[in-house]
Amino acid sequence: MRAGATILILLALAMALAPLLLPDPEALDLSVRFAPPALLHPLGTDELGRDLAARLLAGGRVSLAVAAATALLAAIIGTVIGLVAGYRGGFTDAALMRLTDGVMALPLLPLLIVLAAADPAKLGLGAEVLNSEGFAIARLALIIAAVGWTTVARLVRASALTVRSRDYVRAAVAVGATPGRIMIRHILPNVASPIVVATTLSIGNIILIESALSFLGLGIRPPMASWGNMLTGAMDVVWSAPALAVWPGGAILLAVLAFNLLGDGLQRRLDPRGGQTSQKAGG
Amino acid sequence: MGVTILSRLLQSLAVLVAMSFVVYGLMGLMPGDPIDLMIAGNPHLNAADAVRLKALYGLDRPWTERWLRWLAQVGQGELGYSRLHARPVMAAMIPALVNTAILMASSLLLALVVALPLGILASLRPGSVLDRLVNLVSVASVSLPVFWLGLMLIVVFAVELAWLPAGGMAEVTGGGRLAHMILPVATLALSGIGQYARHMRAAMIAEAGHDYIRTARAKGCSPARVVIRHQLRNALIPVTTIVALEVGGLFSGALITETVFAWPGMGRLIYEAVMGNDFNLALSGLLLATAMTLVGSILADIAYVRLDPRVRTP
Amino acid sequence: MLSFSRPAARSILMRRLLAALILMLLSWPAAAKDELVIGISQFPANFNPLIESMLAKSYVLAFAQRPITVYDAKWQLVCLLCETLPTLENGLAKREGKGMAVTYTLRADARWADGKPVGSADVVFAWQVGRHPQSGVASAEAFRRITWIDVKDARTFTVHVDRQTFDYNAFGDLGPLPAHVERARFEPAPGEYRNRTAYDQDTTNPGLYNGPYRIAQVVQGSHVVLERNAYWAGAKPAFARIVIKVIENTASLEANLLSGGIDMIAGELGLPLEPTLAFEKRHGGRFSVITRPSLAYEHIDLNLGSPVLADVRVRRALLLALDRDAMTRQLFDGREPVANSMVPQLDWVHADDIPKYAFDTAKAAALLDEAGWKPGPGGIRVNARGERLALDLVTTAGNRSRELVAQVLQAQWRKAGVELKVKTEPPRVLFGETVTRRKFAHMAMFAWYSAPENVPRSTLHSAMIPAAANNWSGENYSGYANPAMDALIDAVETELDRPRRKALWREIQALYAADLPALPLYFKADGFILPRELKGLEPTGHQDPTPYWVENWRWE
Repeated sequence: MRAGATILILLALAMALAPLLLPDPEALDLSVRFAPPALLHPLGTDELGRDLAARLLAGGRVSLAVAAATALLAAIIGTVIGLVAGYRGGFTDAALMRLTDGVMALPLLPLLIVLAAADPAKLGLGAEVLNSEGFAIARLALIIAAVGWTTVARLVRASALTVRSRDYVRAAVAVGATPGRIMIRHILPNVASPIVVATTLSIGNIILIESALSFLGLGIRPPMASWGNMLTGAMDVVWSAPALAVWPGGAILLAVLAFNLLGDGLQRRLDPRGGQTSQKAGG
Repeated sequence: MGVTILSRLLQSLAVLVAMSFVVYGLMGLMPGDPIDLMIAGNPHLNAADAVRLKALYGLDRPWTERWLRWLAQVGQGELGYSRLHARPVMAAMIPALVNTAILMASSLLLALVVALPLGILASLRPGSVLDRLVNLVSVASVSLPVFWLGLMLIVVFAVELAWLPAGGMAEVTGGGRLAHMILPVATLALSGIGQYARHMRAAMIAEAGHDYIRTARAKGCSPARVVIRHQLRNALIPVTTIVALEVGGLFSGALITETVFAWPGMGRLIYEAVMGNDFNLALSGLLLATAMTLVGSILADIAYVRLDPRVRTP
Repeated sequence: MLSFSRPAARSILMRRLLAALILMLLSWPAAAKDELVIGISQFPANFNPLIESMLAKSYVLAFAQRPITVYDAKWQLVCLLCETLPTLENGLAKREGKGMAVTYTLRADARWADGKPVGSADVVFAWQVGRHPQSGVASAEAFRRITWIDVKDARTFTVHVDRQTFDYNAFGDLGPLPAHVERARFEPAPGEYRNRTAYDQDTTNPGLYNGPYRIAQVVQGSHVVLERNAYWAGAKPAFARIVIKVIENTASLEANLLSGGIDMIAGELGLPLEPTLAFEKRHGGRFSVITRPSLAYEHIDLNLGSPVLADVRVRRALLLALDRDAMTRQLFDGREPVANSMVPQLDWVHADDIPKYAFDTAKAAALLDEAGWKPGPGGIRVNARGERLALDLVTTAGNRSRELVAQVLQAQWRKAGVELKVKTEPPRVLFGETVTRRKFAHMAMFAWYSAPENVPRSTLHSAMIPAAANNWSGENYSGYANPAMDALIDAVETELDRPRRKALWREIQALYAADLPALPLYFKADGFILPRELKGLEPTGHQDPTPYWVENWRWE
């Protein structure tokens, strides 16, 4: 856990400091393509003579932003559904849980492909919105979260079911608190730990999904850099410039590893009896 | 029990119908059409050709209408023709299905053979060096991007060492099947190993805390006997259910491994069908994959009930 | 005694034996190489030559199916299945009212691989299928032009077409279809033909193929095996079997070549240029790498409907501000020649004396100043109304080299005070919607693939501007409308005299370069990676793939 946290802090620091120390990640210079590491370019340059280290950290910001946004969104959707199902019980619970089962049964990768290939322009959004950088991240986050909320929902529902019958919740019902208030004030704090654990563990997985979608040309698209699309782009020249593939691959491995270690550690601390929540995106 | 299974099956059917609706709609939302694309790639084609072809394949109708028609057709057991392959959907799907099954069964077997002993060993002394090592290896193995791993394996074993073929299923003569399987199976298994080892370890540790284990120990059973006869037997139950849940997902989930190793399986077939607006094939493939997962989860439940005496006798 | 009396004979015999042995040893690798494995990056989903068109299918079928005419590596129209190319000069083609009558005689030795002769009936049958509205044929235009086919005898027929065009004798699309196999599958239910055709139901039926090879085995998604056509009367091809393996991932494709899984990578459907060049640097000794510029015309379509680009000075300035020479030199090792118009240097109608736009920042700046775009804050030019000179460029996602070029364009134009926003879209979005419906704000970068001497009617004629009113037909995505260009296009199509046609072509290119409805970038090069022993493969650089001449391939 400590190792995971340390890696993540170092990564965050590097990303924050990169603009001060490294060249502009967009500045290209065709005369120094595929340059080896040197003082000016600590990791060398890429196929357009851009600084690899700077690109790596800029791409990391995008990848981690996608991962964080997705995890947060999935946690929110999952929590709401889990809370309502667990607290209401009865028909609502049955219906929501069948929905959860259904979504869990969907083949993840093909479905993500269909979702990612769908055209947002047909939803009637303006061109300004569609072309913005934030939209690309939000769109990917929305797509992955749409199928990734089920783990949290099940965890929250299970916790909510047990908490519901505790005395203090009954007391709150007795004094006439609204269901919304009870859910937020009394049940949510008790299910926070498993949510935090599951969300942390899911971030690593989301980074992998982003890279897989980029590999298929459906993730974050150039010119915006992400670890996924940097790796994908490097695959074409993997034989002549292996460093271009090794670094983003290594960065993904490191970040995912860090989140998984952190999640495991948190699980041991906060939720020692919690189930296994990490799942693999599939190969 | 029978009633439960029946209701689960009915629910699964509902999930399948809902899913087909969603997928049909999403494919309808995909912009452009391969028939439009053909024009871009062929100087002799013109827009009038595109209009004619779309009408011919019914692609000019609203997707809801096409979905209803498709559903009625499937209800009669007719999956229709694949537009891309110009063959019945089943004929296009069966070879891919077989290839995927070969890949999946081998990698699952390999993953379990390696992962279960690792998980058990790690669980015997929680916190030991071995446990930490197994944990680190298994976390690392689920943290690797699959296509990167696959390509690195190709670089090392196919190109540098020239021990193994880089892709494809077999020599053209049909020989060398085993050699062709090693790299893709290893790639898929590696990510499974980490997962199953963790599950196994967790299940073993959970069992170790139960009273009956302590009782057995107190009765003077040898530690090996306790571990194998009692702890392992019960710990395998949750692991079995997890494996059953995974199997269904595996059928469509190996797309990336298949792409990297030129393995003509279901993942690629579905991917190409989706990208090529081959509605019949895409839906049949996706529904099959979903059905597999649903059946897997029903089987997991049945297995759970059958294997776990505590559940069987309420 | 005998041995004594004939020592000389014995030694001659010995010498001959030895020589034969040495010869055998020397030629042994060639003899042993009876299987050639070719790697391509796309699997042909189906095999009927008329239904749907995809590059992988054209490539595989080129080994097994011979069309009547094709363009050769010198970009000249030649006969493959016919005896003599009909021309006005040799009298086999005649004017006939507004149309023409063109007479072909099929080669007497042309055979389907089941031994049946290829005859006029097969051509008439192909025409029947092609013009049937429900048969699912991809490109019906060529068939619709034909009003009637007169069958003179078993292998001579006259095609009557409804117009007079200079490419009257190019008969590429109308390859013969084996009537003896396919007629029974077509006639009962033409609407079902696409699902019943033997090409997909019975792909290994030898009766379907008339080339030097026939398809002997298809393993879906993996490979296609071609074996010699026993009835092939032409030169015997060198390889008993040709295997076409499909590996979609380019890095894996290259790995397969290095590990010996495949012998060569086809240029038609192989590696992008950049990995090919990198490959050449590292393994040039083991393989021979051929890069030849093709007629694929990489360019940027400009939306002339946008006020900024409606001004020709801005268009010219944009092109002047690009150092295309440096781009192709640094990114593509100079293998992709800079384009000055849409006609490649290899085409006989190419003209060199047209306006050119060599890199000249001063001239570009002057033109932009003149057009009212003055240097503004942040180095980006602004006009009198304070609008920034910011343009959007959309291009295909997943095409690595295009993504790189887009970023180079961005950097170069920035120096000229033009801001470029780059957006990538998957091909199906770009070609299915964005350019075909003219939804791009300013620029769209992609390539046109065409045939030699391809008249730019669909891309430059004002009647071909896609709009809702004409059901979005036409490929004049720029919205270019110039009556002079329309007149030139109409004239060149029907000009049968070669010198006069060449003069018209020069005018078209000059007008194009002056008006710049699109910014020409360069002509793309295909990269063939071949084993050193393979000789005789000559890239064509156009839509007719190399396997049409597979019988010339040798292993030395």
